[in-house]
Amino acid sequence: MRESSGRSIGFVLLCGIAVLAVGYVLFGPRPTSDIPGDRIVLNYWEKWTGTEAAAMQQVVDAFNASQDRIHVNYLTMSSIDEKAMLSIAGGAPPDVLGLWSFNLPFYAQSDAILPLELPGIDAASYAPAVRPLVFDGDRQLAGVNTCSSVAVYVNLSHLDRAGLDYRNGGPPRTLEQFDAMIPHLSVVGSDGVEQAGFLHMDPGWWHWCWPGYFGGRLYDLETDTATIDSPENIAAFTWFQNGQRRYGRDALRRFQSAPTDNPSPYRNFLTGRLSMTIQGPWLARVIAESAPELQWEAWPLPGPAGSPDEPTGPIECDVLVVPRGAPHPAEAMEFIAFTQRQDMVELVSSLHAKPSPLMQVSPDFYFNHPNSSIAAHEAILHSPNGFGTPPVATWPELNASLTAGVDRIWNGDEDVATVLGEVQAEVESQLERARIRRERRGQRRFGVRP
Amino acid sequence: MKIGRTATGLLWVSPWILGFACFTLLPLVLGVWYSMTDWTLLESPVPVGAENYHRLLGDDVVGIALRNTLLYIVITIPLLTIASIALAILLSRPARFQSLWRVAVFAPSVLPLVAMATIFKLMYDGELGVVNRGLGAVGAPTPEWFTSETWAMVAIILMNLWVVGPAVVIYLASLRDVPRDLNEAASIDGVDWWGRLVHVTLPMISPVILFNVIIGLINAAQVFVVPYIMTGGGPNRGTYFWSMYVYDAAFRYGDMGYASTLGIVQFAAILLLTAGLLLVGRRFVFYRGAAS
Repeated sequence: MRESSGRSIGFVLLCGIAVLAVGYVLFGPRPTSDIPGDRIVLNYWEKWTGTEAAAMQQVVDAFNASQDRIHVNYLTMSSIDEKAMLSIAGGAPPDVLGLWSFNLPFYAQSDAILPLELPGIDAASYAPAVRPLVFDGDRQLAGVNTCSSVAVYVNLSHLDRAGLDYRNGGPPRTLEQFDAMIPHLSVVGSDGVEQAGFLHMDPGWWHWCWPGYFGGRLYDLETDTATIDSPENIAAFTWFQNGQRRYGRDALRRFQSAPTDNPSPYRNFLTGRLSMTIQGPWLARVIAESAPELQWEAWPLPGPAGSPDEPTGPIECDVLVVPRGAPHPAEAMEFIAFTQRQDMVELVSSLHAKPSPLMQVSPDFYFNHPNSSIAAHEAILHSPNGFGTPPVATWPELNASLTAGVDRIWNGDEDVATVLGEVQAEVESQLERARIRRERRGQRRFGVRP
Repeated sequence: MKIGRTATGLLWVSPWILGFACFTLLPLVLGVWYSMTDWTLLESPVPVGAENYHRLLGDDVVGIALRNTLLYIVITIPLLTIASIALAILLSRPARFQSLWRVAVFAPSVLPLVAMATIFKLMYDGELGVVNRGLGAVGAPTPEWFTSETWAMVAIILMNLWVVGPAVVIYLASLRDVPRDLNEAASIDGVDWWGRLVHVTLPMISPVILFNVIIGLINAAQVFVVPYIMTGGGPNRGTYFWSMYVYDAAFRYGDMGYASTLGIVQFAAILLLTAGLLLVGRRFVFYRGAAS
């Protein structure tokens, strides 16, 4: 009897909870939205977070306020290139995707992104080094959000302390002059390296760039062949390996993993333990935030004696594309065209402390720019010697092979030519597979007109 | 009547059957099909027969991933087995705060692996490195964990020992099941503690050891999260494991066909190794039911 009444109470309680739950679902609070109902909503996936995302949000807000038909919804996405691939494959991509320029050959070859038609914008609108990164022949594949060139950041106090006269003579003009500065800036005590003049792997993002300074390239677009083990590249990576030998592998490992009070990847430079480092222009923003007392300047890293006079350096772009299957491609292109306006490009570039990817730059851009060495980055960007990643669909695989080879060269005493020869063989087989894949599908190679 | 009962039984397990068919069987069958295609994910798959399997035989990265994965399995499983049995024996003894110790051993297992790998990465780091600071404080050498291939592998294996909790719980339960009279008889015959452990306890829990070794093998053969977060496979692919290659091929290199081939081979290898362990188990595992 008691058991059956207990069951009844339980049943009533359960029904009560169910009624409450259904009521909450039917009549409960609804998410509020400030998007007017008659607007087309564009979903825009971007990789940036924090300050960089806030900068792009200003452009999005400006676009949303500039007209009354379209609303752009900015969404930050981690591992964006992988998620983009899955969303396109699954037939549910966003309207606009923020990728990197090195993603474009793979997406373009698979027809996974739509060619852009942006009124008033053509190849001549962009800096020379930017054009081959976002155009496939005369087809524009992407708008350029921001772009970066890599320069050498120098701690001026260290140079002064070492008695190196950069004020009268200017920055070093050759790599040999640059190398000659390093011993003066290095302090090696009984406990090992206390201060390093320059490190080729700190934080190690640009390992693919060294051949560019020696006139070498990793890939030849004309012949579709890898040129990893060319004499120029062997010279570049021998110089790279000598950088490690200058201090010794074990001493360097201890130096690079030594405790400091700065957790950023650039900690050795920011804490004054490293005198010179190559980095992108955003380092100016990081210095302002975490080491404002640092006296610094950025210069283009010179090539060896006999190299062309124009500055050299790697260039990468953050790009905007419209993926295949995007729900509102025309509106997406309208948004991208808006982001390519000079004032918008300068707004976001300035907030990111980067140079403008456009040919036309307003005087105010330089005047108010947070990176006092922006001229160095601009010079590389507008130089004929600026270079990007190889325009191949297999770049992530090529980069993985090269990274493993660079690890061996840096961490060991292996013969550079031998290591590069092995990487060359690995990359050749990747390119061969890519050729077979293109033939199988009747596709054209990126960057080559029929 | 019998048919009716069978139908009722099937109805009750139908959600599982449906889930298994949709999320395990179908992907497996599709995986076999995709392994014989050239598929970039962004385009339709093109059948290529056994081409991906031929490629696998000449792929140097496969050799590296296989070597690292086997090394990891060979070192991790004995270490995990010894550590978890030792902890289970310790925890089975009456002690003050016994429940607390048991919770302490199991607690790391409920933490997300991603969070733990991130914390361990910081602990191994020379920058914040609790590990190196601790070693330095006692005058021990402080290795550069992530710049040396050997030490990076050691770091991953040591971190793996942190999650012995589930195995310890299973061993604890099995130790309770060891007949007390056997141990008492052995004691009366003058067998010391070690002798009782080797000749009584371990044989009695051998089916559980086999089970844990098989589960450990399956997990170790699929190791991914910890090296992906802690080392990214480096330096010089020294901690690049099979599952990482599957992931890279699929989502970084846009080569889903080849990734499927790697996945199918991994599946077949785990199946074979498990079958091998079960065969070996027949010889060394003592089943009480079978003995009687």
